[in-house]
Amino acid sequence: MLKNNLSFGQYYQTKSFIHSMDARIKILLLIAYFITIFLVKNFWGFLACGAFLVLSVAFSKVPPLSVLKSLKGIIFLILFTVLLNVFFYGGEYEVVYFKLGNFLLVSDASLKFAGFMALRLSMLIAGSSVLTLTTTPVELTDGIESLLYPLKLIKFPVHELALIMSIALRFIPTLAEEADRIMCAQKARGGDFESGSFISRVKAMIPILIPLLVSSFRRAEELGDAMDARCYSGSKGRTRYKKMKLSYRDLVGALVYGALLTAVILLNATFINVI
Amino acid sequence: MRIFCKNLSFSYSPKAKNPVYAVENLSLTVEEGEFFGIIGHTGSGKSTFIQHLNALIPLQEGQLFIGDFDLNPSKDNKEYKKRLKELRSKVGMVFQYPEYQLFAESVFEDVAFGLRNFFPTLSAEEVSKRVQYAIELVGLNYFEVKDKSPFDLSGGQKRRVAIAGVLVTEPEVLVLDEPVAGLDPQGKKELMDLLHSLMTGKRTIIIVSHDMDEVCENCSRIAVMQRGKIIKTGTPEEVFNGEQIENLSSPLIANLKKSLEANGVDLNCKLTADDFINAVSEEYLKRTNK
Repeated sequence: MLKNNLSFGQYYQTKSFIHSMDARIKILLLIAYFITIFLVKNFWGFLACGAFLVLSVAFSKVPPLSVLKSLKGIIFLILFTVLLNVFFYGGEYEVVYFKLGNFLLVSDASLKFAGFMALRLSMLIAGSSVLTLTTTPVELTDGIESLLYPLKLIKFPVHELALIMSIALRFIPTLAEEADRIMCAQKARGGDFESGSFISRVKAMIPILIPLLVSSFRRAEELGDAMDARCYSGSKGRTRYKKMKLSYRDLVGALVYGALLTAVILLNATFINVI
Repeated sequence: MRIFCKNLSFSYSPKAKNPVYAVENLSLTVEEGEFFGIIGHTGSGKSTFIQHLNALIPLQEGQLFIGDFDLNPSKDNKEYKKRLKELRSKVGMVFQYPEYQLFAESVFEDVAFGLRNFFPTLSAEEVSKRVQYAIELVGLNYFEVKDKSPFDLSGGQKRRVAIAGVLVTEPEVLVLDEPVAGLDPQGKKELMDLLHSLMTGKRTIIIVSHDMDEVCENCSRIAVMQRGKIIKTGTPEEVFNGEQIENLSSPLIANLKKSLEANGVDLNCKLTADDFINAVSEEYLKRTNK
């Protein structure tokens, strides 16, 4: 069944240091962590980033396995990048292990660089999964709304954007359920979605997609009416039920990140750089 | 076709350590030509059970036969895959709010969808003949609606078109999940009359509902489901004349009859409105004539 295969946000419910951090700080720290990963120039730097990652997983009480699971989705991307870099790395090298024609070349430098890229990609994904595992979608959109606040100065509808995002997230399970039901109904009328060529399978989706589209319009209209009925009028003068507050945890998080940044810069200066 | 089901169990998470069963150890036989009702609260497993009847949910545990068709999907049952389409054409399934599954650009195309899927070799004439038959069967004017978009029809008409889309393959078993949900009283009555008019030949109709009155009024036999199990089966009289079933409100007529009995008026009637009114007026005449 469709609804069992779709995982909606991977939020892992528990109480932890990282869970109770401010969503805004978590988002900012993640962005900073991303930048740091691109600053790293040797494997020692990755060790420092790895320590930061392990520390945040440990303090989030999330089972490390679910962080690793997030890598499953991009395993092909990683493999692909590694293969390309192993064979087509164009930089300087010292030892050649394998050569074929003018283009295919496996050297010590290309192997190092490929390993570097694989590490970089997996640490990016693992880092962002720590954010999504410890922050509910609602907190995330609230955080993004608050971070985008300066854009209001140029009349960018920040609140509306955040609302659209949270409504979209909210309706994913509803629509999945609906799709499931419609699929059952069309199957009962002999609809076949599993066999046949690619084109015939795409065509077979029409009896599902059209009712789904119609019902999302219906739902949107109903939701609009319901919001109207409760006098929703956008962001003007709207107060919050949950106010976001900074706490000592956010300061600790920022300090730990500061330590990481310093470490990476020092390590870059001390050791031989791969890139 | 006779429906025979024995010890059927189904869980949405069968691999869990302690699986929660949506349907548990369910045994039920529905004979040919019955108007059968399944009642139970939301979450009692009735919808899950009926989806087994045309293999939308594959059988996990137990036995299920529709006519001579064995619904066991294991590899030993070589007929299963071959005859699946045939089964689905013979067991028509009308889901809750079937109007939400309409998709085609015209009523004709929508009704023909199932027919073309099940019998791809039918000639165009045969298709239009059968579609006309189905549309007229549900009480719509064929020439008026056939080229209309199904989205331009009224709610009640949409539901009829959706039902026609199932009836077009002339199913021998018709299963309807909450067929009158969301209709006004007039629409409800019309739809129920329509279902009764479909009870020709050996056709079996199974309706699922949580409305006791509706089931009592229309069905020849009913099963009461609670927490995935059938707790009582029988004619409406057998089910509702006895003791009150836990967590289940009795139908209005059964309540009236009971309170009359408590006041010394014993009526011998079925639990349908017509029958009850007749019995009451007869009793009244008897007493006033004395």
